[in-house]
Formats: sequence, C-alpha cells, structure tokens
Amino acid sequence: MPGMGAAAGAAAQAATISPLVLFLQADIVVKVVMLGLLLASIWTWAMIIGFTFTLRRASRQSSAFEDDFWKAEDIDRFFEARGKADFPAAKVMAAGVTEWRRSTAQKVIDREGTRDRLSTSMSSTIATEIDRLSDRLNILATIGAVAPFVGLFGTVWGIMRAFTAIAAEQNSSLAVVAPGIAEALFATAIGLFAAIPAVIAYNRFSHGINRMEAKLTRFADGFYSTLSRELEAQR
Amino acid sequence: MESAEKIGLGVATAGHVLLFGLLSAGFLATPNPLKLNSPPMDVSLIDEVALESMAPRLSTQPPPPSVAPEEGPTEDAAPAALPEPAPAPEPEPAPPPKKPSPPRKDVPKAAPKPKPAPEKPAVKAKPTPPKPKAAAAPAPAQQKAKAKPKADSPARASGEGKAQKPRGSMLGKDFLKGIDTEADAPRKPAPAPAATLGPAQKAALDAEIRRQLKPHWRPPSGADADQLVTLLEVRLDKNGRVVGAPEVIEQRGVTASNRPQAQIHAERAIQAVKLASPFRNLPPEFYEQWKWLRPLRFDARLNR
Repeated sequence: MPGMGAAAGAAAQAATISPLVLFLQADIVVKVVMLGLLLASIWTWAMIIGFTFTLRRASRQSSAFEDDFWKAEDIDRFFEARGKADFPAAKVMAAGVTEWRRSTAQKVIDREGTRDRLSTSMSSTIATEIDRLSDRLNILATIGAVAPFVGLFGTVWGIMRAFTAIAAEQNSSLAVVAPGIAEALFATAIGLFAAIPAVIAYNRFSHGINRMEAKLTRFADGFYSTLSRELEAQR
Repeated sequence: MESAEKIGLGVATAGHVLLFGLLSAGFLATPNPLKLNSPPMDVSLIDEVALESMAPRLSTQPPPPSVAPEEGPTEDAAPAALPEPAPAPEPEPAPPPKKPSPPRKDVPKAAPKPKPAPEKPAVKAKPTPPKPKAAAAPAPAQQKAKAKPKADSPARASGEGKAQKPRGSMLGKDFLKGIDTEADAPRKPAPAPAATLGPAQKAALDAEIRRQLKPHWRPPSGADADQLVTLLEVRLDKNGRVVGAPEVIEQRGVTASNRPQAQIHAERAIQAVKLASPFRNLPPEFYEQWKWLRPLRFDARLNR
C-alpha cells in the first residue's frame, strides 16, 4: 500500500502537495513523528474545548453561588438548600460550615483553635479545587514547548534522507529535491500547528485559573469573617 | 475523564479529520503560477592558466576619415605628367629640403593625393609647384622615396619651413584635419596575437601560483606579524618542482615588536614553497616565464 500511495502521490504531486500524500511519502521515522504530533494536536484541542467548558461553568456557578450566598438570610438554611453542589465555591462553603459545626458542637468552644481550623480547612479546599481544575494543564504547556522540537526533528531527519536520495541519484534538480524537502518541512508544520494553540491555550487557562483562585480566596475570606463574627457572638 | 473532555476530544478529532480531509482534497491547494522551465545550460569550468590571448586585438578606433577635399578631376594627372622632361633637375631640389618632421607622417596620406595637387598650382600659375608634380611623375619610375620629397617640396617652394602654405593653396587648410597626431595611433598595425606574457597573463600566472601556495602558508602570529613581508627566490624545473632551496631575497616590515617572528616568517615561507611543490597547471610552453619565481612575495595578504 505505501508503494501505491507513493505512486499516486507522484501523480498528484504535480498539481498539489496534499498532507495525505506527504504523509504517505515520508520515511517511517517522519511518519511516527507526524502521527505523534497529530495526536498531540487532537489532544490539545480536546483539552482546549474541555477546559473552556469546565472553567466557564465553574466560574459561572461560583459567581451565582456567591451572589446568592451574600443575599441569604440564614446561612444554615442556605447551606442545606445549595451547599451540597459540586463546584468550587460550594465546596469551600461546605468545608467551612462542616468545620464550624464540628467545632461548635463541643461544650467549651476554643475560639482561637476554631478560627485556625476554619481558615485552614477552607484554604485547603480552595487548593484542592484549583488543583482539580488545573490538572492536565501542564500537558498543554508540554505540548507547546516540545512539539516544535519534535517537528524539527522530523524535518531534520527528512532532509537528511532527501539529501541521501539526491546523492544516490547524483542529480540535484528541483524535481528530485523538492518532494523530500516538502515532506520534511511538513513535520515542522504539524509541530507548529500543534504547539501554537497549545501555548495560547495554556496562557489563557492559567490566567483563568489564577483568577478563579483569587475569587475563591476572597469568597473564603468573606465567609471566614462572617463565621468569625458568629463565633464572637456565641457564648 | 469528564463529560466536557469527552465532548472536547470528539470535537477535536472531528475537526482534525475535517481539516486534513479538506487539505488532502486540495481545498487550499495553490496552483503553481511559475511553470519552472529551466532548459539545461552548458557550463564549462576552465582551470587551465593561459598565458596568452590568442585572439587578435582589434582596434576600437575607426579609421581616420579622409577630410581632404577632392578637387579637380583625376585626369589632370596626365597634363601633370607632361612636364616630365623638366623634372630631371628637380630631384635635386627635392632632397635638399629640411625635411620638417611633421609632414613626414603625412606621407602615406599624401601619396594618394598627388593628382589633385598638381592641378591647383597650374591654376595659380605658381612656378614652383609644377616641379614637385614633376617629381611625382618620375617617382613611380624611380624610387619610392620620392613620395617624401613630393610632400616636402611644396614647403620648400613656399620658402618656409612649414608645409602649411602650399597646402593652403592646393588642398585647403583642413587637409590634415582627420589625420592628426591621435589619428596616427590606429594606423599602427594591430598587434598580432599575443606572443608574449602580457600583464593580464602575468597576473593570471601569479594568481595561480599564489592559489597553490595559499593552503600551505601559515604565517606566524604575534604583534605586528602581519606587517612582515618575505620575498623569496625560487627556481622551478619543467615539472613545477622546486630546484634547490628557496632563498630569502629580502624581508620587509620588520619592526622591533615583530623581530622575533621575522625568522619564523621566512622559514614558514620556505616551508610553504616546499610543501606546494610541485606546482601544477603552469603552462609548459612558458617555462621561461616561471622558471625563476622572483620575487615570490609572502605577506599577510596571501592567506586572506
């Protein structure tokens, strides 16, 4: 089949140099590189789409939750109604409320200790949520950094092979040189094709996650102040 | 894997398949606007050093135009010939003239003109001019040298050293207009195909020798070492081998700071000559020209 592909490629090559033809013509090493980069590109875009959904949903839900929270009359009732949801702000609030209930259940309330525990539990919940969100974000960074090099490797390999072919034919006309060079450069093209969206997406998402973390921290601080005041009032 | 990621993976895969499908189908194919049509071309690489150009050198100057006015019909030469008996005494006057040098150059030009010349004098009835004519007539019969006297004789006839006057009377002032000193240059015979070592050929030979020396020339480094110049005398045999030991003729550019390098400089120069021997590509028919390479110059420029 590769032979047929190459023959078809030679015929089609005069008109167009299509990706499929270039792929079929290429050396096995270059083929592996191209396939790897193509998978990396697919993965990148899958993550971009998935991340966009996840981040946007988490952000929207958290914002709505915070708004409702600050408007709520009774924290306990609000928590019973909406605190069990599965998004960052709700989790943070759940952590705070759970810790509050445990700490105030005792007969003698240790205020300092309670404050410490509230603060710690909420910030650790924030960290967990952020970790869960930013999980696999490093994959985007890796693809963005490495894909060009992998593509370059494929190009160098392909060009070396092209030169060997030129030497074997003892003919350096454009017709001999061009297909080899073109197929080799295609590897770099795919590498860049995968890397550019990955880098852009990585920067965009790490910015989004930082913002999310700041927002959650502010929410946790506000909630902590509220609980701290309650603690003061509890005698 | 969350549902969002599953959706993302599906969309991304579909997108890639679509994109590469379109590319494969030639959706974005650009027609090649330049039909690269390059017919094969003959290239010859010449690496032999020629000492001569075999092509004849053509003068770029046009031949001088003849400006002399042609006056009078040529038949008049015949009447001029009439006074033939008279001329006999004339040859004597002809030689005596002081042969002013400028007119002599004009001799070849003047030669074709004798016929008009005779005419005028006849019209003006000057007694003297006819004599030169007479001289002209006998000239063919006698010696070729007569042509000169002919040209000169008018000068003598006018009684002045200059040839101007008689010409004024006979041929007009612009007789020699196109044949000035400059015009003489093209009249020199075109040089025959170069048989000797011309400057350009010499330069080519030098360049060839320098080219062969260059890879072996490792000048010493150090302060002011690039100012050193060593001149060698080298003798080559017909195969381009060095005969005997190259000798240092002279060393230039020796200063206090590069004195330690001077000796090394000379040694390296000699070494370079020995390493470069035998010299190739030197035309054997011009062995005489490169038998002695003197002076063979070694300096910082050589290894550039």
